[in-house]
Amino acid sequence: MAAANEQTSHRSDVKTTKPEGSKKHIIAFVFSILLTFIAFALVMAGEINTDFIYIMLVVLAIIQVFVQMAFWMHMKDKGHTFAIIAILSGVVVVFTCVIMALFWTTW
Amino acid sequence: MSSHSHVEGQLPHEPERATLEGRNKITGFWLFLGGETVLFGTLFAAYLTLRGQVMDGPTPNELFDFALVALATALLLTSSLTSVFALQAMHKHNVKGLMGWLIVTLLLGAAFLGLEIYEFNHYVHLGHTFAASAFSTSFYTLVGFHGAHVAFGLLWVILILLQLKKRGLNTTTAPKVYVFGMYWHFIDVVWVFIFTVVYLMGKVG
Amino acid sequence: MAHAHAHAVKRRTGIMDWLTTVDHKKIGIMYLLAGGFFFLIGGLEAILIRLQLMFPQSEVVSAQFYNELITMHGTTMIFLAAMPILFGFMNAIIPLQIGARDVAYPFVNALGFWTFFFGGVLLNISFIAGSVPDAGWTMYAPLSGTTYTEHFGTDYYVIGLQISGIGTLIGGINFLVTIINMRAPGMTFMRMPMFTWATFITSALILFAFPALTVGLAALMFDRLFSGNFFDPSAGGNVVLWEHIFWIFGHPEVYILILPAFGIISEVVSTFSRKRLFGYSSMVFATILIGFLGFMVWAHHMFTTGLGPIANALFSVATMLIAVPTGIKIFNWLFTMWGGSIKFTVANLFAVGFIPTFVMGGVTGVMLSVAPADYQYHDTYFVVAHFHYVIVGGLVLGIFAGLHYWWPKMFGRVLSEKLGYWTFWTFYIGFHLTFFVQHFLGLLGMPRRIWQYLDGMGFNTLNFISTIGALLMGVGTILFIINILITMRKPKTAENDPWKDGRTLEWTISSPAPEYNFAQTPLVRGYDAWWLEKMEGNSKMTPVEPIGPIHMPSPSILPFFMGLGLFIAGFGFMYAREFGVVSLVIGIAGLVITFGCMGLRSWIDDHGFHIEEEEILKDQGVKA
Repeated sequence: MAAANEQTSHRSDVKTTKPEGSKKHIIAFVFSILLTFIAFALVMAGEINTDFIYIMLVVLAIIQVFVQMAFWMHMKDKGHTFAIIAILSGVVVVFTCVIMALFWTTW
Repeated sequence: MSSHSHVEGQLPHEPERATLEGRNKITGFWLFLGGETVLFGTLFAAYLTLRGQVMDGPTPNELFDFALVALATALLLTSSLTSVFALQAMHKHNVKGLMGWLIVTLLLGAAFLGLEIYEFNHYVHLGHTFAASAFSTSFYTLVGFHGAHVAFGLLWVILILLQLKKRGLNTTTAPKVYVFGMYWHFIDVVWVFIFTVVYLMGKVG
Repeated sequence: MAHAHAHAVKRRTGIMDWLTTVDHKKIGIMYLLAGGFFFLIGGLEAILIRLQLMFPQSEVVSAQFYNELITMHGTTMIFLAAMPILFGFMNAIIPLQIGARDVAYPFVNALGFWTFFFGGVLLNISFIAGSVPDAGWTMYAPLSGTTYTEHFGTDYYVIGLQISGIGTLIGGINFLVTIINMRAPGMTFMRMPMFTWATFITSALILFAFPALTVGLAALMFDRLFSGNFFDPSAGGNVVLWEHIFWIFGHPEVYILILPAFGIISEVVSTFSRKRLFGYSSMVFATILIGFLGFMVWAHHMFTTGLGPIANALFSVATMLIAVPTGIKIFNWLFTMWGGSIKFTVANLFAVGFIPTFVMGGVTGVMLSVAPADYQYHDTYFVVAHFHYVIVGGLVLGIFAGLHYWWPKMFGRVLSEKLGYWTFWTFYIGFHLTFFVQHFLGLLGMPRRIWQYLDGMGFNTLNFISTIGALLMGVGTILFIINILITMRKPKTAENDPWKDGRTLEWTISSPAPEYNFAQTPLVRGYDAWWLEKMEGNSKMTPVEPIGPIHMPSPSILPFFMGLGLFIAGFGFMYAREFGVVSLVIGIAGLVITFGCMGLRSWIDDHGFHIEEEEILKDQGVKA
């Protein structure tokens, strides 16, 4: 294991040596709070078309999750190919399940 | 082997990826999270199917309270940010900062869990028991699975804190911190969908 | 190379060695043994079923016991026999095929085995406890709910499978990471042997399918233990939800079973045709496509549930699509053999026997995918014949091929070819006798899962033939066991490459492989790495490193206790319905054991040990 270790260890060292700042993380946080706030406000406002609210809520949630995964979970960084494959495959399976659940309860 | 040659202070910038074991842990944990996605997805599908079946019990609209959910969301979201700070401290090899931010994360998570226990208890008194209806069963299962994940995360971070205290930051402890961070963000991400699908959509009708 | 943490090599012997091992080769053997044991139990159940159906209105077993037999036969064969045996192959072979010294997580690997094992034992203890699962292996609600199944049968099923499912899931993650991160230098994805590819995709399917089962089982458990209402229509629950969740897991599960068999067949056919696998990249593509489509077709098990014409049509078309990548594979095997100098060893006989058998199972599969026609076939023996053609005719023949092919690599002894021929012919003829006639029983209208049939329905002769075939399969299995017993008494004389035509890396090292697999990590220069070197006149692989101390993980008893903890917890929670608090406390104690061991594992800083240079050189001197 020793050789394999040393051989591959520099692969990741090449990538970055500069420590990342916390600014972008705080921006991501503010953005998340904002999205959450909009979602809450939409529902509390009431008097809006229900289907529209449903769609907006899901869109807002997806944007927020995307932001958090990209920045906080570093999925936008290099070396995350399999991370993306893993999460995306999971999402595809979930998507089919949920669509099916909705399909057959609402139709 | 390189794990043993690094002495404290000579750690690489990303100590969590310095050894093959560390990298394996991270890759494997990403895959595990992919599986967890399906786990929660199935729970969501079950909830969406059954959420209209309230029988004689309270409806989601009567049950849920904006203030409580907003507070819980704020707590968990902030704890996700503090776990990012913990990781940044780790990359600067600042063990004190790392442990400090992990403790903040722990406290925020504990507060979230306390709130959820209070919430469940409150609901039970309103007649929304586990066995009341298909809606209540699927609600408690989905939100409870998430809560159990939070509880497990709290125990986990305590164990990591103890190890950091005893052994300091090295190429064995660093991947553990990193993987915990991923886990914690994932819990947060699941919560985003829970407050959207369960609480807000429940409020809409 | 100074290593601060190196301490004296601690090696355990005897039973403790097996309980504490984290060596993937030993874990592979344990999977094979445990899987083989459950295969025999499942086989015995099958024989009893066939004896009951041999004559009309016979009473060999009672109606209740018959229900238990069909339930346990299906569950045991799929979860406790087929999958573990495949995991045995993966463990024994994958690290060797990719030129790795170990799997990514040796400890987790052992944990996966022990959780599977204790889950399987828990499930089978139901026979001793006297309340056996009896609602069919699909456990459809509401039959499996407390209203219709008051005894603990379903609980054994739910908790046993939940525990063994955890083992399977972590095993799957282990192999994914092993294949992603541990390949030898030069072993790119498109140079990986077909069995490695199949394992990779199978593990991915496990990863994304098993969580659905986890949720389904948890929901059923909540319904039964805590009076939940997931599947209870009187409280708003939905019984079709169970079918969906079960088959969202269940259909990928079918591919989890068959893909590794495809991998094994690819290796065996290519080796004994002395030819490169025809259309390697299309094989890889077909495997991925089958894996993907496997998640999109689950509702074809539910055509008669009443999902409506749109859903039925969509799932019907999606199901037919799967025939395309599968067809690609069949033709590739045929073209691999075309023009090759084929050697009919026992392994290759099983592989060649597999191809037409599997095609037959595939063709009936396409027939079943036609939704309107399925209304006729549904729940008849036609379906039973179909899935036994793909699972026994596909998977089990694949397993037999793999067993004969890799036996020398795993145990250092070549199985007797002569006895092997007898095994093949008895098993193969027995198989077709048993299941071919069942197609016609189904078309004549014999429903599945029935305990008795009346005389004069035209079922008598075909059922009799089917039972004779089942007995013949039993004889084939016994011959194989005799073969093992005889071979085990012989000395370990197998060469590195006992078939002479080995193509992949596992044939470059001694049989059985040393603890550290490769004394020097090999350099991979192309697909079929070992064949490539042989063709260039080299007698060994080019190493990428000098001989030096090799780091090994320490053995540990913790995985055993973690599995045991779950076993105890399962019992405690299961009987809480009857014994109340005492039982709950036992359940919690079990969980404390498991999580306590988990904490201990994290807390103990164990850096393993090193095998020193002298020992490696000595091994090489003796065996080279």
